[in-house]
Amino acid sequence: MNRPDVSLATPWQFPTPTILRLPNGLSVWHFHLPGQHIATFELVLPAPLSDEPLEREGVATVALHAIDEGTVAHPAGRIGELLEANGATLHGVAKYRHTTFGGQAPSRRLGDVLPLFTEILSQPDYEARDVAHHVEAQEAGFDSTLASPGGANRMALRRALYGLEHRDGRPAAGTPATLHGIGVDDVRAWHARHFSPDGATLLIAGAVDPDVVVERLAAWEADGSPASPADTAPVQPRRVVVVDRPDAVQATVAMGLRTVTRDDPRWPALRVAGHAIAGAFASRLNLELRERLGYTYGIGGGFAPGVSEGQFSVGGSIRTEVAGDAVTRLLDGLALAEPFSDAEVDDARRFLIGVAPLANETSADIVAQASSLAAAGLDPAYLARHFDDLAVVSAADATTAYRSVVSPEQACVAVTGDAAVLVPELEERGLTPEVVDLRA
Amino acid sequence: MTEARLHYELAGHRLDNGLEVVVAPDPDAPGVAVNIWVEVGSADEHTGKTGFAHLFEHLMFQGSASVASGEHMATVEALGGTVNATTSSDRTNYFETVPRGALDLALWLEADRFSTLAITEENFETQRQVVKEEKRQRYDNQPYGDLLELLTRQHFQPEHPYGHLTIGSMQDLDDASLGDVSSFFDSWYPASNLRLVLSGPVTPDEGIELTERYFGGLPSTIKPRRAAMPAANPADPSVEVVRRQVPHSLTYLSWGAPEAASAQSSALNLALAVLADGNASRLHRALVRNADIANEVHSALLPNRSASSISTILGRPSDGVSIEALNAAILAEVDRFIAEGPTEEEVARAVAQYERDWLWDLATSSGRADAINEAWLVHGDPGWVNTHLADVLAITPDDIRDAAAAWLSPGAAHELHYLAEGTR
Repeated sequence: MNRPDVSLATPWQFPTPTILRLPNGLSVWHFHLPGQHIATFELVLPAPLSDEPLEREGVATVALHAIDEGTVAHPAGRIGELLEANGATLHGVAKYRHTTFGGQAPSRRLGDVLPLFTEILSQPDYEARDVAHHVEAQEAGFDSTLASPGGANRMALRRALYGLEHRDGRPAAGTPATLHGIGVDDVRAWHARHFSPDGATLLIAGAVDPDVVVERLAAWEADGSPASPADTAPVQPRRVVVVDRPDAVQATVAMGLRTVTRDDPRWPALRVAGHAIAGAFASRLNLELRERLGYTYGIGGGFAPGVSEGQFSVGGSIRTEVAGDAVTRLLDGLALAEPFSDAEVDDARRFLIGVAPLANETSADIVAQASSLAAAGLDPAYLARHFDDLAVVSAADATTAYRSVVSPEQACVAVTGDAAVLVPELEERGLTPEVVDLRA
Repeated sequence: MTEARLHYELAGHRLDNGLEVVVAPDPDAPGVAVNIWVEVGSADEHTGKTGFAHLFEHLMFQGSASVASGEHMATVEALGGTVNATTSSDRTNYFETVPRGALDLALWLEADRFSTLAITEENFETQRQVVKEEKRQRYDNQPYGDLLELLTRQHFQPEHPYGHLTIGSMQDLDDASLGDVSSFFDSWYPASNLRLVLSGPVTPDEGIELTERYFGGLPSTIKPRRAAMPAANPADPSVEVVRRQVPHSLTYLSWGAPEAASAQSSALNLALAVLADGNASRLHRALVRNADIANEVHSALLPNRSASSISTILGRPSDGVSIEALNAAILAEVDRFIAEGPTEEEVARAVAQYERDWLWDLATSSGRADAINEAWLVHGDPGWVNTHLADVLAITPDDIRDAAAAWLSPGAAHELHYLAEGTR
């Protein structure tokens, strides 16, 4: 039977939200999605981790995790019971440039959930016992991250890219040394300063009446003081770092560079290039190292935009005996000796544009996308412009843009595995690996 | 208001060659999910030939008569679709979601590989290495990487069909031959062993007509049958103690649980949720919030289709607390739960959380297609997706207590002490 033709559909549009600005300073982007049984909401707070006291790093994460343990009106876990009784779940992350905090609930129950959410924001209880518990959880989480090859390797790459002297180079959730001293007063102070409607954006998507949203969130008053935007880490020298795991059966490899954000005119071309080189199943690097050589379960990567600067990274887990060869091949691949072909760029462009409707099917997808835009100071209409720009990226555009920001000589390399094997392998290839201690 | 009884339209059809299809039309969905369940999993493998069902998942992307190696996945991605496959003990799942205009092509790609799979020695060798790297990445090179294997061994002898993990053993992967692979395909991949679900902007008539068009030419072969499944080892509860280089000691208490289709599964699930799911759960409140016994507690139900499932409660002890003391505290709470049963409020909370999770599973066309296939294989009825939530909402505190009493008896708990090296 002959291969069927494909007829691709009409252009897709990211849903347009209703945008409101409440008297308390909160911006609300409301996406009305009839038919969505599950609503998602998320607050974007302009609270950079650089605002944490140096000796108390991790306080933003502890505050966020302890926030729903109790409120003045519903202490000692009662608020959590009420949320759960309404089918709600909450989640949040303290990131380097901002904090997100939100949740999900059945759309029909959102009218009962939002008052509880507001109560948590405006009257958290922060009992000493709960704070201590969450400090312990973060300390344990740090140890778990270090024990995980992927987690340790990401931490090592981040340190190399941004430097240990800058907040961006240190773990977002702190280290045991900084977490240890965090107490109730630190957490309350962080909350009081940073959990404020002024300057924050609430994203909300689902089959939800906007009046419900406004009525509940307008009552949230707080006297936070806006944080200064975080400064950018100074440029770091290129480093090749090894995290030693004696007897590890694989080497976890990542290489990366600091790059541009969405407002750079090259951004659409870079996204296409990133997908073609490491994002797709049929990416250059995956075809070479997985499909042709069988060195790895998979190579992935691409460009991530960030808020004030972006990052390009590629990596994967590779069996130890061929890891040196794999690093060489990855660096050779990054050099892009052959420009991108029309076919590679066509496929990447069609994927990035074509997958958008599937990638934005649920209320959580929409909120995640909108949250990322809001944090970067972009409006929802940005996406329509971005898809228009993607549609005209040529092979020459992708090649030129990629070569202007990526060069293997400048890429930091992090390898987590058996240093006794890996260090000589890397030295043999002209690299100068340093074994690093992530606890130092 | 969400109604407890859902109303997804489902239209079924059986081809002459035995392949069955269900179409779940949803004109508003952004793409059509094409979801094929092959009724074979790692429980159908033989001793010495483990990992085959999963190895197949890789080989199925290596080309067929009209499709080159890797082309299936690359083609779907380039159309703006998503594509992958997964394997469990009970089934192998091939799926993609594509724009409506690419549905014909997706079905053609699937039919081509199910009818003319072509495996070369070179492809086979590469994918064998890829699978070994997958095993290293997911298990051998991860902290706690052998935990699931240890837990499984407490419930099933190694020769039991559920006694090994889906990923298989390195030795068996090394020993596999091209002949083994083709005979596995011949045994388990005929049309009569496939269930196809289409979910998205496609009408029942269109979906059935397209299935006939692309799959109707597959040969008609008698449906293979899973070998009779021995009961799980009814051995006395065991205590397994291991020491590993991991950051934290953990304890796993586990029990045999009913088969996935059992009427008591949902009640047992709710019992585990009331006990140890979330910060409002009994064990969290008793051992983490109100006492310095544990730093965290969680529960899980690992379902099996043809023999005993496994339910577990995991605990991470507080500093200075022994695993024995933690286990005693957990089991005392379980005992109290069996004696008292849950409160109405606890049940309402667990059900509300379950409702959100279930609706979330159904929120995408791909998730819905997968849920329909699971309902179909495990419960014998795709329409189970429409009635399941109502059944869960009807569960009473007494049902939950009965399930806990039947399946979580403190005296029947297996213990796995997974100790960080250097601790007692």
